[in-house]
Amino acid sequence: MQQQPILVLFLALAGITTIVFTYIFVSSKKAAQSEKGMSNPLKKRFWFSLILFVVLGIFTTATIPDSPYYLFADETPAKVVHVAAKQFAFVLSDKAIDPTNPSGENIELPAEELVEFRVTSLDVNHGFAIYDKSNRLITQVQAMPGYVNRLRYKFKEPGQYDILCLEYCGMAHQAMRASFIVK
Amino acid sequence: MESLKLKKITSVWVITVLILFVVSIILGILMRLNQGEVISQSPVTFYSNMTTHGLTMIGIWFVAGMAAVNYLMQRYVKTSYTVNVIALVFTVVGVLMLWTSTFIGKFHAAWTFLYPLPFKEIGSATWATLLFLASLTVLGIGWLIWSISLMTQILKKYSIAQAFAWQHFKKNPKVETPPFILISMITLIGVIACLLAAVVLLVLFYAEYFSKGNFVNDALLMKNLTYFFGHTIANEMLYLGLAVIYELFSEVSGRPKWKTTWYVALAWNFTLIFVLTAFFHHLYMDFVQPEGFQIIGQLASYLASLPAAGVTVFSVFIAVYRTKIKWSLTNLLFFIGIAGWVIGGLGAVIDSTISNNIVLHNTLWVPAHFHTYNAMGNVLFSLGFFYWFSTQFSENSKVSKFTTSTLTLLLIGGIGFLLAFYFGGADSIPRRYSSYPADFPMAAPMANIGAAFATVYLIAILIFFFNISKRCLKILFSPS
Amino acid sequence: MFKNIIFTIITIGFCIKVNAQTVSAEVKEERNIYDKIYDAPLNVVGEQQRSLQELYSEKPLLLALVFTRCSGVCSPFLLQLKENLQFRTKDNSFHVLVLSFDPRDSIKDMNLLAKKFDLENNKQWIFAVTDSITRLNQSISFDPIWDSTINQYDHDALLVGINSEGYITKKLIGIRQRHETDLLIASVNNVFSPTYRLPSKNLLFSCFNYDPKTGKNKLGLGLIFIALPAVLTLLMLIFISYFVKHKRPEIEETL
Repeated sequence: MQQQPILVLFLALAGITTIVFTYIFVSSKKAAQSEKGMSNPLKKRFWFSLILFVVLGIFTTATIPDSPYYLFADETPAKVVHVAAKQFAFVLSDKAIDPTNPSGENIELPAEELVEFRVTSLDVNHGFAIYDKSNRLITQVQAMPGYVNRLRYKFKEPGQYDILCLEYCGMAHQAMRASFIVK
Repeated sequence: MESLKLKKITSVWVITVLILFVVSIILGILMRLNQGEVISQSPVTFYSNMTTHGLTMIGIWFVAGMAAVNYLMQRYVKTSYTVNVIALVFTVVGVLMLWTSTFIGKFHAAWTFLYPLPFKEIGSATWATLLFLASLTVLGIGWLIWSISLMTQILKKYSIAQAFAWQHFKKNPKVETPPFILISMITLIGVIACLLAAVVLLVLFYAEYFSKGNFVNDALLMKNLTYFFGHTIANEMLYLGLAVIYELFSEVSGRPKWKTTWYVALAWNFTLIFVLTAFFHHLYMDFVQPEGFQIIGQLASYLASLPAAGVTVFSVFIAVYRTKIKWSLTNLLFFIGIAGWVIGGLGAVIDSTISNNIVLHNTLWVPAHFHTYNAMGNVLFSLGFFYWFSTQFSENSKVSKFTTSTLTLLLIGGIGFLLAFYFGGADSIPRRYSSYPADFPMAAPMANIGAAFATVYLIAILIFFFNISKRCLKILFSPS
Repeated sequence: MFKNIIFTIITIGFCIKVNAQTVSAEVKEERNIYDKIYDAPLNVVGEQQRSLQELYSEKPLLLALVFTRCSGVCSPFLLQLKENLQFRTKDNSFHVLVLSFDPRDSIKDMNLLAKKFDLENNKQWIFAVTDSITRLNQSISFDPIWDSTINQYDHDALLVGINSEGYITKKLIGIRQRHETDLLIASVNNVFSPTYRLPSKNLLFSCFNYDPKTGKNKLGLGLIFIALPAVLTLLMLIFISYFVKHKRPEIEETL
């Protein structure tokens, strides 16, 4: 449920921006010929920039440790799932996938335990995005040919999860999907 | 004589851009209607239209910025008319080749044509890939010649240090570098760098194409190059618009000209560095990219917004706040455009945060934010210039009731169609889907709402189009 | 911690032997990853009975499976492993367990093997036999096949990484380069690398090569291509500026 606060934050900031611009526009419309405009603009600009800098600095330090590259890094996964994406399907398997003869199986994963997806692509770039029961994007990684990306995640709730391709990969991109069960 | 030729070619640029813009908007609306299940296109048609829409939009607003900068630069340095014509010819030929590859050849690898998709397309003509790559080569060469020529003209008058306004770091500089020259220079450097990235990228594509599989590219390298080119050019075209604003905003408002100061110089010098490394944020979800680069990506994305907001936005605020200025359509478009640019920038900063990106990457949030600063930012910068350009040779430039209602249409249409994208993005709806799976019941209605508002936006653009083109045609066919 | 978790790319370019291997070896390497290894009772050279669990709880293990009568891959395999680890003798983060999978091997045979490789006094190396080899083999999908015509086992050279909780973190099949052994050591110490690279035709243009020992990325040729546009632009700027210099008006005059 990360998206809702993001949307609210954005709408709030966009609203504030609109109000500020409107206020400034109106102040110009109403201004008398003799008015001198902003007092001490340089000083205000300095404080504005400094505050912006500090806010962004705080935002950076707060968000960087949450980056996916660091999540669950020092734990041993309970389960590894191999994923090979190809135009226009995902092959999922408990075992490593032979690129010359890719074959997969139904996947069941444990809840509340660490799972590692080893994601690669057999042709073009694909996205490997996991959607929960309410069709909310919970995590993702790219599938790049020649590389294996390791995505770690702990599923909290049991149920069916869908995988959609989130990197445009050609004519049936919108139909490329798979799913797995968390028990 | 010289300036008359420049006026005429600039008129041609304006009309060309506007025609291509209208066509591209229509393609965009068709895409939304297809997603809304009002019309039914085959996925290949949808995706080839998407490719045309994306590349044409990037191309036209880039050349719109370049044409405006070229026109205004004549005030400071002599520019080459021949190069301007070459750029126009290359652009038109390039676009026609591009459209042939997409409309007829059904090339549909999207405007990012991420390697190795152009080689692994299903459903397009075999010649389409090569024609597409060739069209990019033509566009790239034309634009490279143009940017290098403009840079050379600046360097004929200003030394490197002066062009970058370094003398302003000291007290009482002897020479003043006009803000317009400083920003143009910084932007042209970025433009040349990203066009050269496109050259390297195309060479690698050709190498694989003509070696018939003996030479294979590295997907990570190709992705980095793709976004070095793609992100940077999309970013730089905004800065071309800003250069125009620095030159024209105070002028059309009847205020004293903006001056370069030490902080303006510093901000723009920093921008050059940040803009060239911000593209790493396109590769956050590629864990193959070293983590250091990912963090540089986030920092550069943040820092690129600082000077822009701190200097440009504040400069406009200072110019407007409680100051009686002459409002015309030009500075009104500039003012609204800056607001749109800031709001789009906020959406971008949110998305460029790695821990947010994991749930926003390649959802509708991405088109949401870049359409904000393009459709409601950069387009308005260029429209402002177009309007100013077309009216400076005629008397009537006051804001009429009619233009106010057109602006209102533009705003309502723009905001409505953007909100449909933002809500879609927050609802995890994927971008670049020709039709939506049943899992997203809100996606199709939202697409139709987007299409409806985009049509309102289109009507406003059409009014501007007729208005501006009429005057530009007059300039074009005027004897003197 | 963070700096250790940087991405990884396996350089295989110079390792012809691996490239020559079939795909199935790669597939085999991915079997049993993150499974728990069977806790076999061991007869350790120079010590008494110990369980595998006691060993891996003490320190993560690199488990090498050999048999002393081998006339094939075992000797070069151990030699290469020793070579790969020679610069890490002071590294306390792991032990190497050389275990015989041949029931005929006695603790004496293993002692001789240690002597042959001059490793009997090396604290990092442990030589052992077990009487539960079948179950251990099963838990790591290792299946040597007895070939009675040549009186030898037909088997892979297998190196298994086991972390201190007894989970298999990584497997290497065949004689491998130091770089890959380093990756294995990183994995038994739970150093997470968010990515690794598959063998490919073009390693020339790769952007980075990860060195697991230092945890740093070495720059690849591909990176030059990413930097090239910016460098070319800079050079162009300087060249053009130099060649149009004479056209520039004097600064004083423009004032």
